[in-house]
Amino acid sequence: MRKRLWPYLLALGPGLLAASAGNDAGGIATYASAGASYGYGLLWAMVVVTICVGVVQEMSARMGAVTGKGFSDLVRETFSLRQTALILLTLLIANIGIIVSEFIGVAAAAELFGVSRYVAVPLAAVFVWLLVTRGSYGWVEKIFLFLTLAFLAYIGAAFLARPDWGRVLHETFAPRLHLEYGYLNLLIALIGTTISPYMQLYIQSSVVEKGVTPEDYRYTRFDVVVGTVSAGVVAVFIIIATAATLYPRHIVVDTAANAARALEPVAGHYAEALFAIGLLGASLLAAGVLPLATTYMLSEALGFERGVSRSWSEAPIFMGTFTGLIVLGAGIALIPGLPLIQVLVGVYVLNGLLLPVELFAILRLINDRELMGEHVNGRTYNFIAWGIAVVVSVLSLALIVMTVAGWLR
Amino acid sequence: MFFLTAIMDRPVEGKAGEAIGRIEDVIVRMGDDRYPPISGLVVRDGPRRFFVSANLLQKLNGAARLSSSTVDLQPFARRSGEVLLRRDVLDHQLIDITGRRIVRVNDVQLTLVEGAYRVVGVDISPQALLRRLGPRALAGRIVGRQIVDWTDVQYLASTAPVQLKVSYDRLAELHPVDLARIVDALSYRESAEIVAALDEETAAETLEEVSDERVADLLEGMDQERAADILEEMAPGAAADALEDLDDEVAEQLLARMEPEEAADVQALLEYDEDSAGRIMTTDFVRVPARSTVGEALALIRSLEEVPDPLLAVYVVEPEDPATLRGLVRLRTLILSAPATPVTEVMDEDLPTVAPEDRAENAARILAEYNLLAVPVLDEERHLLGIVTVDDALAVLLPEIWQRRGGRTFA
Repeated sequence: MRKRLWPYLLALGPGLLAASAGNDAGGIATYASAGASYGYGLLWAMVVVTICVGVVQEMSARMGAVTGKGFSDLVRETFSLRQTALILLTLLIANIGIIVSEFIGVAAAAELFGVSRYVAVPLAAVFVWLLVTRGSYGWVEKIFLFLTLAFLAYIGAAFLARPDWGRVLHETFAPRLHLEYGYLNLLIALIGTTISPYMQLYIQSSVVEKGVTPEDYRYTRFDVVVGTVSAGVVAVFIIIATAATLYPRHIVVDTAANAARALEPVAGHYAEALFAIGLLGASLLAAGVLPLATTYMLSEALGFERGVSRSWSEAPIFMGTFTGLIVLGAGIALIPGLPLIQVLVGVYVLNGLLLPVELFAILRLINDRELMGEHVNGRTYNFIAWGIAVVVSVLSLALIVMTVAGWLR
Repeated sequence: MFFLTAIMDRPVEGKAGEAIGRIEDVIVRMGDDRYPPISGLVVRDGPRRFFVSANLLQKLNGAARLSSSTVDLQPFARRSGEVLLRRDVLDHQLIDITGRRIVRVNDVQLTLVEGAYRVVGVDISPQALLRRLGPRALAGRIVGRQIVDWTDVQYLASTAPVQLKVSYDRLAELHPVDLARIVDALSYRESAEIVAALDEETAAETLEEVSDERVADLLEGMDQERAADILEEMAPGAAADALEDLDDEVAEQLLARMEPEEAADVQALLEYDEDSAGRIMTTDFVRVPARSTVGEALALIRSLEEVPDPLLAVYVVEPEDPATLRGLVRLRTLILSAPATPVTEVMDEDLPTVAPEDRAENAARILAEYNLLAVPVLDEERHLLGIVTVDDALAVLLPEIWQRRGGRTFA
């Protein structure tokens, strides 16, 4: 028994990391907003979205294991150049949005500690740049990851807030849907933050990097499922905690301080500090990984010399893109008077809107027999996967229509 | 001379100029030719895809013209040994041997040589991308090409979904350090293909420079017999680093398959922590009994089956107890002294030494401070275990950024 369990435990890692990276600054803001504004009303969506994440992450991991290639490699080699350009452009825009959101996360965390964001954000940008280019990111990453454990406090907070568990279950499994702008907006943001393209890029490239083969792919699948479920559980409890504490008092999550107030049942006066620590860890973690992942994605697809250990003269485009992304992300986060939490949620709405492009690209690749052989999607699985892509597209379209209609009124 | 993207999707005409279909892809036979010849076209007519042999081709550039009006409508099926230029080469990765880097093919250059259309080079310029992205009418306005000759590229067989016999001779032109950089930058499967094509000695030299995690993955992925052979060729320190990143079970299996002597060397190094003097030391050095003369010492060196490289000095030990160090004689002194001189007369004593548990940086610092080329490593009983040479220490002293970093993972 022990012998059969062991490989599964050893495989835990990339899937877990990718999924918990999804619970970053924007994720926390979106979940807290959902709980504070609609109580338990969006819990059902969180459960559904978690299943969707699992399906999408599994497909990405399987592609990596079977083809041995990263996502942007496959896109460039399979799609026409114009389609490739479109797919990479949407991924680039989505990733830039998230990079901005990570620096906003740093800003929000710093302000909870009473440090001006005009000090904290440039400092964080330089810090992250140095860490990655000097190659000492590996162990610092683990510290950041450790800091994000602070968000586990939401689970305690949810229990201590004494929610009406009957209602929680009822709203989760027998939801009432609203067709109004704010609800739909948050629903798309919830999808956008939970199914982030970079999570798929990350899981696929780490599967490729580890050289996982189709034969031992089942261990990776286990990792993906565990990661998705654990990230989903944290998200669900953030919604329950904010729904039980903020929703009845009509506190809207428009600042990080308000989001932190849901932690008061556990941490009392230290709620803000606890929240700030978690936020800082999550933001710095992704602020380092994302610009690098995005730069690799572009360089691989376009064939530039790459690697952070290369000098400027050896890999000018690579280093330039990496630096540019950090400067751009930090720069936007420094715009005076930027409403932080709204921008965070906005970024994920944008992400949700761009998601269909990526989803259809994944579906096309995963069902390509020449690439995947016998490992293409099964019939039922394909039905679910296509269902997800179509529903996300319809929701995105609905949001665009409602936005335009709002302008015309 | 013309380019693949200029003829893709162009019409194919019969003998009398009648429409037959459009060019879907160009088939190339990979073999011993320096410039692989085109063996045929995949022609598309509505939903049908069929094969047209290159023998029928009168003209390929512009509108393709065939020498016959009848074609065999047999559906196209892939065959081993054949590569589709659009599907398997265009937009795929190659190794640019002269440039010592991985490139992506933005266009393929074709030309008529010796009566056959052949692949002669690949365009890797960003301009080629722009030409393909914009409308075709504007393509001619974008100038600039960066052509890499086909004899200067290494095609990766794992790129194509068919069985291919690809020659990897060109890899031999690359220095192991450059090979290592490419192995680190490629995905695991492609890097395994490269390493599989190298002889054991080159593979060992290459793997010494590759990141530890990738080496572990590569060793685990290959046949155990070959992995053990490569490990034997590697410097014991590098082999120990690689084994440490493997599962204990696999590491032990590999050690068991190695020659007992080499395995013992590696196992001895595994006793010490990574980054310790014990791990980076060389156990390959020359011992000379204290009663020898300079001439005998030189004769001893010449009689060795494998002479240590670099050979910086010989170590003078007690004749009855070869583990006890008396001193060392530099190679320079050995050459300059009269052959009859006893080694004890010309040897240096009171040498600085290090313990195997000492940090590797410490050994490097001693080398720098005392201007030494090597420092002996002694255990608690003052027994000579090995030496740390300047070469070994340099890798420790250089900042991490100079070293090969862990492949393409994002973190």
